[in-house]
Amino acid sequence: MTIYETEVPGVGHKFELEIDGDERLVVIIHHDGKRDVYRRPDPDADSEQLFSLTGKQARQLGSILEGAYFQPVELDEVEVPLGESIIEWTEVGADAPVVGQSIADCDIRSRTGVSVMAIQRGEETIPNPGPDATIETGDVLVTLGSREEHSALSDLVED
Amino acid sequence: MAASLVEIGIALAAVALAGLAANRVGLSVIPAYIVAGILVGPEWPTEVLGVSLQLVAYGEFIAVAAELGIVFLLFFLGLEFSVGQLLADRKRITKAGSVDFLLNFGAGVALGVLFGRTPLETLLIAGVVYISSSAVVTKSIIDRGWVANPEAEPILGTLVFEDIVIAVYLALVAALLTGSGDLAGAAMDVARAFAFLGAIAAVAWYGTDYVERAFDLPNDELFLLHVLGATTLVAGAALATGVSEAVAAFFVGTAFSQTPHTDRIEDVVAPVRDLFAAVFFFAIGLTTDVTVLAGVAALLAVAVVLTTGTKLVSGTIGGRVYDLSPTRSLRTGIGLVPRAEFSLVIATLAAGAGGTLADVVPAFTVGYVLAMSVLGTVMIQHADRLTDSLAPLVADVTGE
Repeated sequence: MTIYETEVPGVGHKFELEIDGDERLVVIIHHDGKRDVYRRPDPDADSEQLFSLTGKQARQLGSILEGAYFQPVELDEVEVPLGESIIEWTEVGADAPVVGQSIADCDIRSRTGVSVMAIQRGEETIPNPGPDATIETGDVLVTLGSREEHSALSDLVED
Repeated sequence: MAASLVEIGIALAAVALAGLAANRVGLSVIPAYIVAGILVGPEWPTEVLGVSLQLVAYGEFIAVAAELGIVFLLFFLGLEFSVGQLLADRKRITKAGSVDFLLNFGAGVALGVLFGRTPLETLLIAGVVYISSSAVVTKSIIDRGWVANPEAEPILGTLVFEDIVIAVYLALVAALLTGSGDLAGAAMDVARAFAFLGAIAAVAWYGTDYVERAFDLPNDELFLLHVLGATTLVAGAALATGVSEAVAAFFVGTAFSQTPHTDRIEDVVAPVRDLFAAVFFFAIGLTTDVTVLAGVAALLAVAVVLTTGTKLVSGTIGGRVYDLSPTRSLRTGIGLVPRAEFSLVIATLAAGAGGTLADVVPAFTVGYVLAMSVLGTVMIQHADRLTDSLAPLVADVTGE
């Protein structure tokens, strides 16, 4: 969102916010604290004044808009189906029993409950490793699971 | 003492009632203050139904308060002068501003020549008809909602350009009027004025940090007194050296404009400006002899018609410089029609000069400002009818 700011001599400051396509909100902040809010539907139309607020009212409205009074659950986050699960990064120790085994051989899923989403090895990352991908010393396993499941994994792969 | 207090009381009450009446009918308060001064002042009308209307004389107190009105009008002009905005948009502001200057100042010069005025009178008339009123224009475009539209840019940009021109112009004219008469002497006066003002401008430009610290005061009362003291002292010193006090105050204002104190000044000092400016307009009315207006009636009538037209055309061209539609460009022109406070500041210079200059120019300016501030405001209020009928013409001319 682009915001344009200009000075209006003798009055105060003017802010224009691009909202939807060509539509703009125009806010005039007067030196005495008064705020006038206008809406301009498209570049050829005239701005219509929506409302006018005192400085105090404007700050209250501002904090409501900002979410300080009530924080809504953002829909984008709800759609991530993690539920109780978290993502963790766990480094494989040199003496871990799983070193040299494939993911299928060491049966991480049934022993700990976590799913291996990726393996970070040095600079490279192996996304969605298959069952025959092997685990080596120094690998970082990126896994999805609950806190208990992750502590089981730590017990298995860390020194 | 009692008599003076009553006199000042009558003056302030007259200004208050005039302002109220102007607000009721949606007009600028400036012409109302002038009319209030004419009514209760020593010149015609002197009585109504046997009751004397010579209630307030143009005494020393009012004269000094009016002078402070000029100083603080220009101080705020400097304070609100945005160098940043000017630099960021210099190409378009320079184009629109130059057209505005050429057409309107040019129209003033043509008027002076046409009516056989002296070169000095012509120079003053040109200044009077050139400069738009920041106060009336800004208030009108807020009332009308144009301030939130794209046409606000060329309107405010042109006003910024006019601010610079008027600072230079006032410095020049003040030096010429107080000057020694012959050409070499006049050149010396102008040079001295610009040296003095250049020094203030340099302090304003380089002394921002110092100003910021010096005026970082704990309460509003001290802050107000410091700002008033500093501004009035610099303006007074300027006047004492024969330099325009108005331009000195303008530069004091610019010294503050780069500091964080601007909001506090708008808050604390603006009411003082409003008071003294009201007295300034009222004092103009007090000193105006309406019967003298008859002597300049022809000049006045032609000037009103001609310079309404030139502002309309120059503003419309200014709007086109900003790539605005014909309707918005026309609004730019209509928005800039009102002339008021700065024209009167120029007239005050002439009034102080004495001679025939003091008769013609002030009377002309009062009549002109009364007409243009009212006409301009009414034109802005009824702009839709004007733009509807003129927009096709503008579209034709500009080939859109």
